Amino acid sequence: MDSLLFLLPHLLNGLALGLLFALIALGFMLIIGVMEVINLAHGSLFALGAYAALALMTPDGGLPPAMVALFQALPLAWRYAAALVLAPLAVAIVGMGLELCLRRTYGRDPLYGLLLTFGAALVIEELIRLAWGPTERFIPMPQGITGGVMLGELIYSKYRMFAALFAIAMIALLWLFLERTPYGAIIKAGAHDSEMVGALGVNLPRLRLFVFGFGSLLAAIAGIVMVPIWGIRPHVGVDAVVPAFVIIVLGGVGSFWGTVIAGLLVGMVVGLTGAFATDWSLISMYMLLILVVTFRARGLLGKKSILEA
Amino acid sequence: MTSKIARRSLLAGTAAVAGLTTIYGPWRHNRVLAQSSKPILIGLTHDASGQFANSGQDEQRGTIMAIEEINAKGGVLGRKLTYIVADTETTPATATRVAERMVNRNEVAFIVGAIQSGVANAIGQVAQKYGVVYFNTNSSSPTEAGKDCQRVKFVWDGTGANFANAAAANAVKTFGKKWLLLTNDYVWGHNTSKATRETAVKFGAEMMDEILVPVGTRDFSPILLKVQQAKPDVIAAAVGGDDFKVMRQQVVDMKLDRKPAWLNNQQDWPDVYGLGIEAVFGVFGTTWYHKLDLPGVADLVKRYQARWPDTRIDVPGNVIYNGYMAMHELAKAIERAGSTNNHKVIRALEGHKMAARDRMQHHDAYIDPVSHHVQQTIYMATGNDKPVDKTDYFKILSSVGPDDAKDANEARDCKLPGFDKTPTYEM
Repeated sequence: MDSLLFLLPHLLNGLALGLLFALIALGFMLIIGVMEVINLAHGSLFALGAYAALALMTPDGGLPPAMVALFQALPLAWRYAAALVLAPLAVAIVGMGLELCLRRTYGRDPLYGLLLTFGAALVIEELIRLAWGPTERFIPMPQGITGGVMLGELIYSKYRMFAALFAIAMIALLWLFLERTPYGAIIKAGAHDSEMVGALGVNLPRLRLFVFGFGSLLAAIAGIVMVPIWGIRPHVGVDAVVPAFVIIVLGGVGSFWGTVIAGLLVGMVVGLTGAFATDWSLISMYMLLILVVTFRARGLLGKKSILEA
Repeated sequence: MTSKIARRSLLAGTAAVAGLTTIYGPWRHNRVLAQSSKPILIGLTHDASGQFANSGQDEQRGTIMAIEEINAKGGVLGRKLTYIVADTETTPATATRVAERMVNRNEVAFIVGAIQSGVANAIGQVAQKYGVVYFNTNSSSPTEAGKDCQRVKFVWDGTGANFANAAAANAVKTFGKKWLLLTNDYVWGHNTSKATRETAVKFGAEMMDEILVPVGTRDFSPILLKVQQAKPDVIAAAVGGDDFKVMRQQVVDMKLDRKPAWLNNQQDWPDVYGLGIEAVFGVFGTTWYHKLDLPGVADLVKRYQARWPDTRIDVPGNVIYNGYMAMHELAKAIERAGSTNNHKVIRALEGHKMAARDRMQHHDAYIDPVSHHVQQTIYMATGNDKPVDKTDYFKILSSVGPDDAKDANEARDCKLPGFDKTPTYEM
């Protein structure tokens, strides 16, 4: 009983961590699923979202003084809510711009798309450095979601609980969008066979533009939610893109629930190794990936390839 | 007749070969390119990318500022100082390549700069191979002035052992005996925690556990839960760079910064500046603070602000200070040596005493001839609950003199290579 009580906070923490990992990976999954492009700029878009929120929430965030004064007059919670909507929309526009650049690579060797998004990642990171400088920045959080909350004798982060609940809400909303709306049906069909969707009269370039923008928007939301935990610096995106990649491969490329389950698994493994074998905590997600891919190459819920039929 | 010509040719040839050898190398043995009017070229090895990019750029502001001040006063031995800068990328392999290139291609006379101990050690090895005098300005692993010491290398920052010595006795007495170590899993973390353990145990602390924190850790929640379950009196953290920033953010957010007591070894100014005073937590060491009430401090702050008006770090901190002071001391050592000859410069540095007033610290400092480590004042500080302005993050708790903070293991571990094993040169 005592050992269970000892373990329980770590299991709950792993669950919360897993939800956050899933949130980071969802936008990545959407783009790779529909467009078959590994968007290496996902991390940079994640960082850009965080910096865009910084611009809206702090007086020295880089926006024109008049605009900042307008925002500063709002209570912090309102500014945070506004940042959660406006910053991702701005990043979605950047993502759409990137998709327009990507169009010339469609139908060619996938390496071209990979190189282009890698280049875009470097460019975005350097632009962030130029605009906001290389130093660590800080986004103030509303009072209600900061500080600790008592779990028995232990203090747990209130913000982390908020972030995990937010991740659940985002996962649910995205699922409803994909499963219960005609737009979601088109996206899913596009992920299954985009050429057939095009042949059926759907405007494929517009679909891809929308999906890339939507994936970028999700990356930005994840960025805004994660930086109060990870801190904000120009290369913070690197911390996001690597686990995102691990999670979508683990879950099965293009699988919504595969991504969510893989995110939870990675969170559990990282959380438990972080507590009981801390020096293994970073490598543990890669070991999990190797283990799963060894026995199930397409990931947990990935589609069967024709070679496996 | 034939034999006479042959002998003359042989003599001329020998003289020519000897002359060319003297001038052009090989480096391993000797370099003599003394030119009285030629500027003295310094290689600045500062991280501009990687985990310590921010600190590396901060350090660069200090070294460049010092070079400009030296040149404004006429240079050294009537020669100007010039510099080249290279990004060591917080990566030892890059540091080795950079140092090799600086010595062999750029022909630098001296090398200055380092934040990360792996980088400092890598540059130190290359520098020793060619005999180039190297100043490790900001890397604070105890091994730098211990087993990795070099005849050509001088260590300017306080090491983890100095900070542990300065803090441990008081922390055991004030906070309690049950200690837990948080160790960044690389050379600086391991060596700093080792020094902390040795010192704290000497004063009666009991080590409950040591948690290794992999470099690149972004989620400290499992660790923070675990330390709460362990209930230590003191957490001695040797976590640096981005990892420290992330950890601090999560500790402060959970309000775990008050209890248990955190002993954070050293707090580098670039790692905390800009985050607000509330982001500073625990007790930590530093070599300098911009609000010290000492002659010269306020003037240095003003000069820094005039020179770097656009940087986000509005006031200089310990990282700039170490780079700035090291560069000035290099210039003074060349003056004392009367030459850029490396052996003479090394001898001018070994055992050199520096007045507290000149260094803007509370105690006189000296360069230990045994380890080449600058033994200096160590300040213990904590977050400032009564700041006088927005830059006043630290409250200085005490100043510890160099002999009280000194790491006794340096004399045991450091075996400086002899001068006979150090190639000589003059640029």
